[in-house]
Amino acid sequence: MTDIAFYALSALAIWSGWRVFRVDSMIRATFALMVSFICVGGIALLMSADYIGIATVFMMAVEMMVMGLFMVMFMMNPAGLNPMQMVHQHRFSIGAGIAAFIGLTVAVLATNLPNNPLPAGRDTLHDLGVELLGGSMLIFETAGVTLLATMVGAVVLSSRPGRFGDSDAGAVPPGLQPGGQPAGRKVEKSGGHGGHGGDSSHDMNMKGAPKSDDAPHKRHGKMPEEES
Amino acid sequence: MTFAPALTTLILFLAIGIWIAAILDAVFYRRISGQGGVSVLSPFYAAAAHLSRQRLTTEAPDRLNWYLAIAGYLAIATIGLAVVPFGPETAVIGIKTSVVLWGACESLVVVLVFLHGWSPNSPLALIGAYRYVAIGLPIMLLSMFVLIAAALPARSLDLRDIVASQEGLWNIIRQPLGLPLFLLLGLSLTLRGPFDYADSADLAGGTSVEDSGANRAGWQVARLAMLVGFSAIAASTFLGGYLGPILPGIVWLAIKTLILMAVVIGLSHLLARMPVARMLGLIWKFLLPIAFVDLLLAGLVALA
Amino acid sequence: MTLTAILVVAAALFGIGLFGALSQKSFVMLMMGLELMLNGTLLAAVGFWAFTLEGAPKGQLLAILVMAVMAVELAIGFALVVAVYRKRQADVVESLGTLKQ
Repeated sequence: MTDIAFYALSALAIWSGWRVFRVDSMIRATFALMVSFICVGGIALLMSADYIGIATVFMMAVEMMVMGLFMVMFMMNPAGLNPMQMVHQHRFSIGAGIAAFIGLTVAVLATNLPNNPLPAGRDTLHDLGVELLGGSMLIFETAGVTLLATMVGAVVLSSRPGRFGDSDAGAVPPGLQPGGQPAGRKVEKSGGHGGHGGDSSHDMNMKGAPKSDDAPHKRHGKMPEEES
Repeated sequence: MTFAPALTTLILFLAIGIWIAAILDAVFYRRISGQGGVSVLSPFYAAAAHLSRQRLTTEAPDRLNWYLAIAGYLAIATIGLAVVPFGPETAVIGIKTSVVLWGACESLVVVLVFLHGWSPNSPLALIGAYRYVAIGLPIMLLSMFVLIAAALPARSLDLRDIVASQEGLWNIIRQPLGLPLFLLLGLSLTLRGPFDYADSADLAGGTSVEDSGANRAGWQVARLAMLVGFSAIAASTFLGGYLGPILPGIVWLAIKTLILMAVVIGLSHLLARMPVARMLGLIWKFLLPIAFVDLLLAGLVALA
Repeated sequence: MTLTAILVVAAALFGIGLFGALSQKSFVMLMMGLELMLNGTLLAAVGFWAFTLEGAPKGQLLAILVMAVMAVELAIGFALVVAVYRKRQADVVESLGTLKQ
């Protein structure tokens, strides 16, 4: 029973982990990763890590939610409705991934792993609590301070106003060709379209920009000839 | 009670709870708007009307996630109810970390409501989903502190132990700040009233604007199921759950759940909704410190 | 369910994560690759704890630290993405040839 659950969860974890980089829709990718995490949490539960398993689900649901938001904000094509190329150095990456997997697997199979399993009926939750606020308190508190520093750092990095003026002062998007004109929407002096197509700088990465028939103001008009 | 009777109890509890919640909702609405009475069968009429309608769809929706969001929301509500003890040492999901499991359910609700707004490929639904995430995440954070505070006197993360620890004194008296804060979470989880940033009328229905036919019925049922699950959790955490004299435990649990359900529905119809930015300010600057105070007081009491 | 099986699954997750981190153009997708690698690490940590430590709670502590690392990575990563986007209006790795202005 435990074995069946373990193999099912493992298969789902690996499959959804693989789907993360294979689906078109970014939201699907994000939540495929979440499914992978939930499966790992389930496996941890099978190994009677009561707290770790559920805490993984809990943390990862929140993290992936935030990740999904950033996906929609920053990706040029979050729903995967337009075909586009999102990978680089593809061959090398596949090779590196397979090499890592085979190397680690060989290492696992070649090693004579010790076998001291968890005694049955041990109160792992109680153990963890005593350890966190007892023997390893310093480590735990260090993690807490690190998280605090992270929060401060994240706010500093991402805040717009800074000591030396706004962080985006004078920022220019990269050119479409090396050394070419900056990409992005040119500010139209005529007005009246404020708020539309504000992030069309993304479109440079699309193969075949969508023919938006609701855009009389030529949202994609400033693009060079579409790459094919 | 072994597993099978507990599961049967769970299903009955959920079904009757959804029915009563639907009636209560209609009664409050009609009372406030000065209309006539409500038939006890009206939820069934509404369900039949929804089910007999055609299911419309949008252009290029994410159909898989659309169905998953509705089914998942209902499943999460059921899991929430499943960790509630129906009697001493009896819960459908009896694990030592059931409070953490409920926390995981809370965070998955945010994910699923977002998915429900994302998948129809429709602007109003997506706006609703975005607004909801902004509000849903901090209010969930707040509920974590409240739940940890409630777990402190029981010295356990098990909801069964938390109920058992209220034998002498209910948590609502021991930690008076806890229940009001937790009820706000309930409003947010069930997409109601002041925290209804997902499905509100100002977005013509928000994330459910494109739902029709059986999908709409399913989503509404899931929302009501979440209300039942949340109320049962809150009743167990703060009102002593199944504890009570004379009557059997399950009846006490049902009564307390019913009272909390009525309170949540009443609040949802009486309180006004704020702009998202103001609500965010309220949550982060005012409610979160109150949750800290709640936790601090619980800790001091535990030490004393 | 043996330790070997768990470690092989962890290795597979790690390998997929490495593939993703190396191959994706978008910063956010790249971070998802890193997360998947940490996912494998988490699984391996819990596996070692359950099968080789006789229940010593240090193993669980390691798993909690892995989770903290994930949170730090995510927060700093997103802050950097926001900062870079402000400055360059860019969200793909190629547009960062240099760290200079």
